Amino acid sequence: MFRNYLKIAWRSLAKNKLFSGINVFGLALGMACGLVIGLWVSDALSYDRFLPDAERIHFVRVNFQNPVTGEIATNWVTPGPLQEVIAQHIPEVAAVTKINYGPELLIKPVGRSAAEKSGKEKGHYATDDFFGVFDLPALAGNPKVALAQTNQIVITRTVAENYFTRSGSDYRQALGKTLQLDNDKFYVVGAIIENLPSTSTLQFGWLVNWKVQQQDWMKKWGNNSFQTFVRLQPNVTLEQAEKAMKIIYPRFAGKNFDIGRPTLQPITDLHLYADYKNGKAVGGRIEYVRIFSLVALFILLIACINFINLATARSAMRAKEVGVRKVVGALRSSLIGQFLGESVLTSLLAICLALLMVALALPTFNTTFGKRLTLDLTNPVLWLGIAGLVLITGFLSGSYPALFLSGLQPVRILKGTGLAIQMQVGNGRSAASPALFRQTLVVFQFSLSIFLIAGMLAVGQQMDYLRTKNLGLDRENVIYVPLEGALNAGNKTETFRQEVMRQPSVAAATTASDLPLNIQSSSGDLEWPGKLPTTESNVSTLEVGGDFIRTMNIKLLDGRDFRTAGLADSASYIINEATARMMNMKAPVGQEVKFWRGKGRIVGLMKDFHLKSLHEAISPLIMMYNPLENGYLLVKTRAGQTQQAIADLERLTKQFNPNYPFSYHFVDEAYEQLYKTEQQVNTLVNSFGMLAILISCLGLFGLAAFTAEQRTKEIGVRKVLGASVTNIIGLLSKDFLKLVMIALILATPLAWLALSKWLSSFEYSTGLSWWVFALSGLMAIGIAMLTVSFQSIKAALMNPVKSLRSE
Amino acid sequence: MIQTVNLQKLFATEEVETTALNGINMDVKDGEFVAIMGPSGCGKSTLLNILGLLDNPSEGEYNFYGTAVAKMTERQRAQLRKGSIGFVFQSFNLIDELTVYENVELPLLYLKTPADERKIRVEEALSRMNIMHRRNHFPQQLSGGQQQRTAIARAVVAKPKLILADEPTGNLDSVNGEEVMKLLGELNDEGTTIIMVTHSPYDAGFAHRIVNLFDGKVVTENFHV
Repeated sequence: MFRNYLKIAWRSLAKNKLFSGINVFGLALGMACGLVIGLWVSDALSYDRFLPDAERIHFVRVNFQNPVTGEIATNWVTPGPLQEVIAQHIPEVAAVTKINYGPELLIKPVGRSAAEKSGKEKGHYATDDFFGVFDLPALAGNPKVALAQTNQIVITRTVAENYFTRSGSDYRQALGKTLQLDNDKFYVVGAIIENLPSTSTLQFGWLVNWKVQQQDWMKKWGNNSFQTFVRLQPNVTLEQAEKAMKIIYPRFAGKNFDIGRPTLQPITDLHLYADYKNGKAVGGRIEYVRIFSLVALFILLIACINFINLATARSAMRAKEVGVRKVVGALRSSLIGQFLGESVLTSLLAICLALLMVALALPTFNTTFGKRLTLDLTNPVLWLGIAGLVLITGFLSGSYPALFLSGLQPVRILKGTGLAIQMQVGNGRSAASPALFRQTLVVFQFSLSIFLIAGMLAVGQQMDYLRTKNLGLDRENVIYVPLEGALNAGNKTETFRQEVMRQPSVAAATTASDLPLNIQSSSGDLEWPGKLPTTESNVSTLEVGGDFIRTMNIKLLDGRDFRTAGLADSASYIINEATARMMNMKAPVGQEVKFWRGKGRIVGLMKDFHLKSLHEAISPLIMMYNPLENGYLLVKTRAGQTQQAIADLERLTKQFNPNYPFSYHFVDEAYEQLYKTEQQVNTLVNSFGMLAILISCLGLFGLAAFTAEQRTKEIGVRKVLGASVTNIIGLLSKDFLKLVMIALILATPLAWLALSKWLSSFEYSTGLSWWVFALSGLMAIGIAMLTVSFQSIKAALMNPVKSLRSE
Repeated sequence: MIQTVNLQKLFATEEVETTALNGINMDVKDGEFVAIMGPSGCGKSTLLNILGLLDNPSEGEYNFYGTAVAKMTERQRAQLRKGSIGFVFQSFNLIDELTVYENVELPLLYLKTPADERKIRVEEALSRMNIMHRRNHFPQQLSGGQQQRTAIARAVVAKPKLILADEPTGNLDSVNGEEVMKLLGELNDEGTTIIMVTHSPYDAGFAHRIVNLFDGKVVTENFHV
């Protein structure tokens, strides 16, 4: 029996190449989407689960509740002493470690056997118990022992291979060799660990003991700069540990900071839940995981709807078979089985095509999204997913046609009148007919498509807004060069800056501790006259060299920029409007405040500019003058002379700092990096929106072809009676356009709601314009029109003699 | 043994109600060959459908080989029908996607007949209908006569007690029609009960008895000897 079904299924697929093609291709596109998104989602969900005892490892954040407003701000960076206090006073914690931000430093192997290579690798300074928290597999040496030494370094396999082996030789040779870090200190390779998988939140190539870079400011409770991780004792819950940590701030942090409360986040949530609101994880990448899972489902649904529509529309052709089978003894259940089998077969064909599509699309996807997703056919979970996809798609798309077809009455079919079959299959004019059901599905399909088009347009609009928004400072034609080695040593920094300024290609140059578009460091140390103990005093901090305001083209509202001559401005501060508002000062210039440089005066007031991504409101900022060591050199080039400026910078860098390779970046590129996720979302939404439309149109094309075929005789009669080609096209297109219009009306409010919610995640966003919806509707109608008219014109141009004779 | 008592069938649409059968009383004995005749629209096919368990009467009783079937559900009728009734249609009703062999095999598949026995019986039926040489052809590749012989092979392959034929020669030329009628006569000679709807007095001549219908009623019955 099964073979008989298979035969029939295969033969009817082969017989109707257009419809089978539409079905298989549409389903394959839907499934390919589902697979890619599935891979991406499972990748996102698997972050940090590779860690041994991952469920015991937690990331430490600190909640600060504003005593007046009751609002809770959550810091993801913590002060240095927190780790020490946890280690000594919280018995619920088995191990705790802190790491710094993870600089990219120059690695240079030393000694005869080394392949003479040097390069930059990202790494962390970490406290002794790092491997007590992260039990990463050792390949050579003992990482725990090595990290405890201040003269040893732990490196990953890739670093060992890249810097210590000639091609083909064993990476273990690196053990015991010496390398120089940052052109400064020398370390012996004490241990080699396995590379971190791409699903690790922490990504580094080397680890060095914390003490090597320890400075006094790192011991302050007011400076939040480090990431802290704990491993809990077995059987200790997150709540128990948090409860135990409550006492830390009141007991140890001093009166300014006693409101801090450490809060723990399971490390397996770290990748997905980065956004905190009122002390609780509210979202982050998980939202995209949800959105795109939904999108995948939508697209699959659209493809399934094609299948359902074409199958029921064409049921007249299968009706005779149903009748015959029933007459010779088929039960309804066996017919249902047969038709479901057919749809599962179709989805089997589709999945083969889908796997091919995925294999072809993955490299592009990976480059676009910086992922390393693979179609690992040896992975049983993948096969389980594929089997699930085939069955779900098969049943979803096959169930209605199966129920419908198996319910046809043989008595009426087998008498062989076309009308009897039409009555059952439906011509769209009687209520509750399958035709009405088909129309409902088309409406649903197009609603989803319009929803996605509106999404495409709105996301695109917001991205444009981000790209072009006036941030309050210049980001075009600004180059930055990381200051390292000799460029970051005492007076040399300022000498270098002065030399850069002398180049004719350079308009201005300054230095800064952070990139001004993404200022990370903050402090609660600011004191001013009249400050109440309950006042929120968290300010972003930036140390800058001379000419910062001029280089970045920031508007100065009052006062002046720092003076570069002498030490006059070593205890002066420049603030932004937000800080003035926080301090409740109408004319802050000249006022005395106390901060890291001690008591000093405010010498300048800047107009607010964006310190971080537009997801966040502009926060208070305080700037200090620091001509000596700093993070970056920022260079504003003269218009049209960027290439010359880069060449000049390279020459000067080589001269001042010969041991380091020259590297530079553009500030606007760094700015775009801030919106990498949004860019990716933009790309994804665009691709999926197009796919949804494409698949919907495939279905519409099929339905239009079917309708034209079904109404051949009617068209013939109408033409004989004098209808023009235009009349006929109008007649055939009208019905479909009506459906698309209904879809537009249904989709608009839903899309409005969803997009408003997405835009509200930005502190600054473009409003939702009405034209987004008008345009998506127009596009949907236009595309539907194109699709349908091809068939309509074909039908309208047919010679009526032909169609009438064949009846 | 088939018996109907006061069989009624109404068709109702939104606007009109049509009486297709109006009190049919009819007995058909085992091994009988009955022809049903009458003008178009007199209810011949409706009667045949009810006798063939494809449809239920609106009222009245129908006794099919000792079972009262008038009130049965479709599922029950399908179970009873399976293997006990063979159908032959005017328009053949072969499945286009299946070969001659596969079309004939179909009833046995639904009866879950074992494969080896299936093969023997299908080949037997095909040889008997003289269509064996076309076993691997698809219906569109056959002449009308060949298609109808295939349909008869399909009707007899399960060895049913009753064959219902709805104008079996209606789409055939006289030579092929004659051949089909002879085949039906032979089957009847071997003991199969046959009920046939026809317009053709010639075809009706093959039957033992002719039942004439008019406006849903039996008007006359003629017996041949």
